Amino acid sequence: MDGNEDSGIFFEEDDHRAAYIFNADQPLSTQKQTPRPAKRRKVAKADAPRPHQDSSVELAFPPLFNGAEGSDAVRLRKQLYETAWPVLEDRIQHVLREANSNTLDEVTSFLQHAAEAETGKITAGFIITGPSIASQHLLFEQLGERLRTATRARFVRLRASEAPNLKAALKKIIQDATASGTDGEEVGDVEISHGGRKYLDYDLEALHVFLQQQQQQSPRVVVAFQDSEAFEGGLLTDLIALFHSWRDRIPFDLLFGIATSVELFQARLLKSTARQLYGAQFDVVQADSVLESVIKTAVAGSQAALRIGPSLLQSWVDRHRDQVAGIQVFISSLKYVYMCHFYADPLSVLLAGDGRLDRKLMQPEHIEAVRTLDSFKAQVEAAVEARQLNHAQSLLEDDDYLVAQILEQGQKRNEYLLRLLRSLHLVAATGLSSTSFTDLYILALSSGIDIDQSSGTVPLEDAVKRLRAEEFLSLINRLLMAVQTGSSDLGLDGWEPDAEELVGSLTDLRDEVDGLRERSKSNGTVLKSKYSAQSRVLRTTVVAQKVQLSQDTAIMTDEDKAFTKAVDALLDLLSENLNCGPIDNLFLHEAWVFDSKSPYRDVFVPCPDATFGRALSRPHDYLACACCAKANGGLASTLPTTAILYHLYLEAGALINVADLWSAYYALVGEESEPGLDERSALVCFYRGLAELRMMGFVKQSRKKADHVAKLKWLF
Amino acid sequence: MRNSLFHLPDELILATLSQTFPCREAQIRALATLLYPGAAPCRNLVIHGTEATGKSAITAALLARLADRTEDEGFILSHAIVNSAECITARHLYETVVSKVANALSWDGAPSRCETVSQLTVELVKLLKYTPRPAGFHFVLVFDGIDRQRDAPHTLVPALARLSEIISSLTTVFIVTSPPPRFLLTSSVPHLHFPTYTKTDFVSIVSASPPPALPNTSPQETADLWTRFTAAVHDALARAASRTLPSFHHACTALWPRFTAPVHAGTHSPREFSKLLIAARVHFQNERLLDPGVLTSTATATGSGAGTALATLLPTTPRLLLLASYLASHNATKHDITLFSTHYHGRRRRRGGGPSVGGRPRSKHRKIARKLLGSHAFVLERMLAIFAAVRGEWEAGNTRDHGDNKEEGHADIGMAIATLASLRLLVRVGGGATGDLMDCGGKWRVNVGWEVIRGLGRGIGVEVEDWLIE
Repeated sequence: MDGNEDSGIFFEEDDHRAAYIFNADQPLSTQKQTPRPAKRRKVAKADAPRPHQDSSVELAFPPLFNGAEGSDAVRLRKQLYETAWPVLEDRIQHVLREANSNTLDEVTSFLQHAAEAETGKITAGFIITGPSIASQHLLFEQLGERLRTATRARFVRLRASEAPNLKAALKKIIQDATASGTDGEEVGDVEISHGGRKYLDYDLEALHVFLQQQQQQSPRVVVAFQDSEAFEGGLLTDLIALFHSWRDRIPFDLLFGIATSVELFQARLLKSTARQLYGAQFDVVQADSVLESVIKTAVAGSQAALRIGPSLLQSWVDRHRDQVAGIQVFISSLKYVYMCHFYADPLSVLLAGDGRLDRKLMQPEHIEAVRTLDSFKAQVEAAVEARQLNHAQSLLEDDDYLVAQILEQGQKRNEYLLRLLRSLHLVAATGLSSTSFTDLYILALSSGIDIDQSSGTVPLEDAVKRLRAEEFLSLINRLLMAVQTGSSDLGLDGWEPDAEELVGSLTDLRDEVDGLRERSKSNGTVLKSKYSAQSRVLRTTVVAQKVQLSQDTAIMTDEDKAFTKAVDALLDLLSENLNCGPIDNLFLHEAWVFDSKSPYRDVFVPCPDATFGRALSRPHDYLACACCAKANGGLASTLPTTAILYHLYLEAGALINVADLWSAYYALVGEESEPGLDERSALVCFYRGLAELRMMGFVKQSRKKADHVAKLKWLF
Repeated sequence: MRNSLFHLPDELILATLSQTFPCREAQIRALATLLYPGAAPCRNLVIHGTEATGKSAITAALLARLADRTEDEGFILSHAIVNSAECITARHLYETVVSKVANALSWDGAPSRCETVSQLTVELVKLLKYTPRPAGFHFVLVFDGIDRQRDAPHTLVPALARLSEIISSLTTVFIVTSPPPRFLLTSSVPHLHFPTYTKTDFVSIVSASPPPALPNTSPQETADLWTRFTAAVHDALARAASRTLPSFHHACTALWPRFTAPVHAGTHSPREFSKLLIAARVHFQNERLLDPGVLTSTATATGSGAGTALATLLPTTPRLLLLASYLASHNATKHDITLFSTHYHGRRRRRGGGPSVGGRPRSKHRKIARKLLGSHAFVLERMLAIFAAVRGEWEAGNTRDHGDNKEEGHADIGMAIATLASLRLLVRVGGGATGDLMDCGGKWRVNVGWEVIRGLGRGIGVEVEDWLIE
């Protein structure tokens, strides 16, 4: 609060707290310091960039460290955010559009074929979009663009909210179909008249005349019902019947965005109407795979500046799986985390690379903040354990030394991320692990990558050992290919020059095993390793009533032994290369990993019921008043009226007699008790409290019994 | 050229029409008599008959040909056909009538607004009566499907029937499905009935257009087979269920490839009709032909019902909410404690199977199973309580532990309910349908059937049957 006035900051610390504590006892002088109420100033700021501020430093972010943060650092944080997020957003949009491209192609070609085929029915495409309604928007936007260019059709997109009845729907169809041809030149009402006749705005004749005047090659009209479930069944039936009857003059095609299933959709139509449609079903790419590719690009990819920590990412993925939180929610969560990090974490300046971060920028506060970090503590403890006492001491005491260390971390971070992504890519390239990329990524962040069978996080060892010769060769080829090409999703270029050693040994192994295979083929045997032979051949022979297990090693040829050796060599190579530590081992990882659930959860998954319940049952938690401290969740006469009534309400049954409630309340606060209210003022409080309970939806007037209120909420 | 008072139109017109519309000769002749100005033109005419009996098509074709040919017989016959299905409001109907009549008469004045029947009368009188017309002029105005007109005032049809009293050169034709007695409120209106086709009619109509010849057969053989085949299809399907010509035709064309598959394969010759019939017996019993559905390729819909499709689409929480809503909709409130409370019994008492085990004699009133009745409305709070009660048990066997999820998630649950509502899987009922979505006092109803719910439940390993009390 101190630095607010002199540096022209327009946010206060209190603005970002979950609850505002109103303290009536505060002396008037402190309130006088702020000339205008905070809320009005905030609105004024959001409206326009203030003219009187333009000359001075333009700071959208408030300085942290209680205002002690230098303006350079603030600007750097803002700059970092502004360079980091838009790049990512573009990539995400690209991924989303790509995901739909298959569906678009199918729908377009279906409509083109349908235009040629002549049946007595209306062509209808049913696009199964899944229950996430937000993602339908992009799809239909793309469909509109595609159909306008590819088939030169007139495209009309209907949403249920825009078309509450038949007239409004027709009006919208006619408007959009006639407007789209003029490309926005005449945006207003296109006046269609024919021989002096003006058409009613829901008359399809107008559209017919318009299309004739245009004299296009294929004046097909595509009407897309974006959220077909939300339309009234009767309206759909009417529209389809109408289109069917106009079919010989205006060729209509229909598209339905369906969130559930075609069967349920059909069940809502009349049978005679359903018979007028014929169509095909298109499935949009499943939300899970879209999520995976978004995670690959925007969370795991090399372009993501900020890393999302494993537990937060896991909670997002879980939420995506369990709740109806579509991909849009995921993206806005991601954006929110970026905003939070750069807005509220002063150490986010450490993300800046290429010389923008220097000694001047690092204030004493930054250094102090670094010294409070867990990873700093871990670093010092590790140094002490490793008997590098000088290093530890300098870290703790010498600011310049620490800054030098901090500046080095940027390089280490990049190295770590490159190693992580390359390892992940190689693991995916082996094709031996059945976990999805998302799970793998989360696992790698939280506990690192290790392919050891017993203790590792990605136990590939057994799978590699069990490989047959052909699989072995193709595995090596896949690995080489992966190294060569990298991954465009992850933003990972091929790193063949960096990995000469790996490539060299892999090529050697491949040549060797290839030769071995040739030789064993010419010998007429099948190449196998020690491991595969043991696991597969279990030969038992009964000799003289004794069971003998034949020794497999005895029949291993020289080639087999060499192959076993090659498998071992590959395993060593892999465990050396597919190896990566967990993310929180790194010094200063707090500056570029965001792994806190709390602001995200408060914003995206609020639980108003629980908040209300707590505020009413334990108002002390929010008010922090001295009088209620001893109530501790129980009933006390000093609580606010609504809270007292709430406690009484919890004890009551389904129907509450108001007179009883009043007498209970008055016994608690009446003249004999501690507050000692007289009847009139107690009654006023009582009425107000009851009205507040009603406002919050706890009670309502009951019709069953006079003078009773019904209890509405049972779950808390 | 009018020699006598009564003569029918040219025989050639009627003959060609009868060829285009087989089995309708009597109706065509009657219609021609009642419309032709030289024969017995009437003022109003009601044509009625069920769907797909050729009412509109024959009227339109006949009028078009009469209009072409009448001029050299001394008459001028114009006509206009207004399809009520295309008119959204009554006003739309009036304006369409005026513009169509003006078009038919090549009238080039700008038509004015026309909002009521009286204005319509004025406009029509202006067009037809006050404008001098040559002798022998006659106009036929056809209202197709006027009984299905949207937003029609109840005086609409009687008022239209009065038009011809005011304008003497006008004949008004009403095409309706089934006219109630005296619905025109005038006396002695001729009615012309188009009866449904009989079996011989069906067969002769459909066999008039045989499919392309089968391999190794002559077109004649194919046509013969097609005729016998259509008769068989009629006996199997059309007689009982699909009585209209289009659906009969659809059934024939859909069955034909399957029926002739042995001929294609070469196992039977087209002459062995009974063998073919026996081979294709299964298809004749398949009633899915009668309700083809909106998707073209029926082959793709293999066994995956709506329940499973929905189960893969919906995330876990909305699935559970939907199941809880179904339980709330189909269980009586009084059974809630028995089903969902663990307070008195260590194990919840479930009723999977038969009716009451306890010895009370069954009451005289036999109730219809609640499952068969529609879903009942429930209070949102009750559904949430059921959800909270069943969630722990249902999720335990299904996915990983949700230890920290118990507390959170009211916003998510609200979102799930809102999504289900926007998908019309849950619907709000009662007066407060516009109110707050999360108002706990609001009433809701589940909008999906038993089949879907059972599939949905099995998808997460829950047998919904166990949780219902009849």
